[in-house]
Amino acid sequence: MGHRDIPVIRTRRLVLRAPEPSDYPDFKATFTSYRSRFMGGPLNPYEAWMLYAAEIGHWEIRGFGMWMIHAADDDRTLGMAGGWQPAGWPERELAWIVFPGASGQGYALEAVHAVRGHLYRTGWDGAVSYVDPKNYESRLLCDRLGAVLDPDAPSVDGSDACYRHPSPAALADTRLAWAIDREIAHHADPALQPEGAPVD
Amino acid sequence: MTPPVLTTDRLVLRPLSADDFEALAAFYASDRSRHVGGPKDRADTWRQLAAEIGHWTLRGYGRWGVDVAATGACVGIVGCWNPEGWPEPELGWDLFDGHEGRGYATEAAAAARRWAYDAAGWRTAISLVSHGNGASARVAARLGCLHEADVEGRFGGAQIWRHPGPAAVL
Repeated sequence: MGHRDIPVIRTRRLVLRAPEPSDYPDFKATFTSYRSRFMGGPLNPYEAWMLYAAEIGHWEIRGFGMWMIHAADDDRTLGMAGGWQPAGWPERELAWIVFPGASGQGYALEAVHAVRGHLYRTGWDGAVSYVDPKNYESRLLCDRLGAVLDPDAPSVDGSDACYRHPSPAALADTRLAWAIDREIAHHADPALQPEGAPVD
Repeated sequence: MTPPVLTTDRLVLRPLSADDFEALAAFYASDRSRHVGGPKDRADTWRQLAAEIGHWTLRGYGRWGVDVAATGACVGIVGCWNPEGWPEPELGWDLFDGHEGRGYATEAAAAARRWAYDAAGWRTAISLVSHGNGASARVAARLGCLHEADVEGRFGGAQIWRHPGPAAVL
């Protein structure tokens, strides 16, 4: 799938679009920072640029890839989410990163939930997420998405944990799906915002 | 963006795709790649190929797979290269094993240079030649380049060869 054919996904608060050249400064700021420590970073500027170029090329080679997450109201970039399977990945992964300053508001949950639904509707019959064991925020997000630790599945480098997402059938019309929609609603609707610090 | 297809007397410069992976993996596994950032394992080679493709979207130019028109054999990767941190936009050539000595790199790079000047708006171009890569320096010389400086490049010490400008080659 070429770059210009990447579909747009809209959710309550987000617009997921192809990664564009104009989004690169935000990507670089994140991937040259400590924020990227669970995604192979921090990278130097050359490495960050090459990774961003590879994220775009991934779409061409695999037919799927990572979307850039934008806020629907003012278009600012919030992070990335999508399908990821470079060489060496045992299975197709649902991956995400939330940019600094955008965490704690349920954006990753909303984006990954939408991406997972899109990929399931277009042929995926399942997915995993590879998570660094020290990446508590992402492990919590796996939990909220209904993904469970699969200790028998091969990992990418032997040190990451493989979380297996519920299949399309296991996700459809279940209490889990209802709970995800409900949690997104909590974040999206000020009248429903919970007490205390939300996690993301 | 989708790269254009360029043709020369003997060669076709066409977009890179997933089909180029095995040839690129063989190149990066070999000693031939030591001048251009190699050797790389298959995982790093895959990311390199993905980045080569994405380079076109980020810059509006990039590198092509080069095939022999008569046989379809892929002889290498040639074209425009300018990731962040590069000294300036470069014309680069990576020739695969077994295709040396036939002038393919020179012929493909000349076509890429004409396109860079004519379609991509380049006003000048360099080629980086790693120290000790005599074959590549001879390609640069045949293209009319002049060795103007040395630089400590990403992959070690390299020579900067300056290409003749648009007025000289278009």
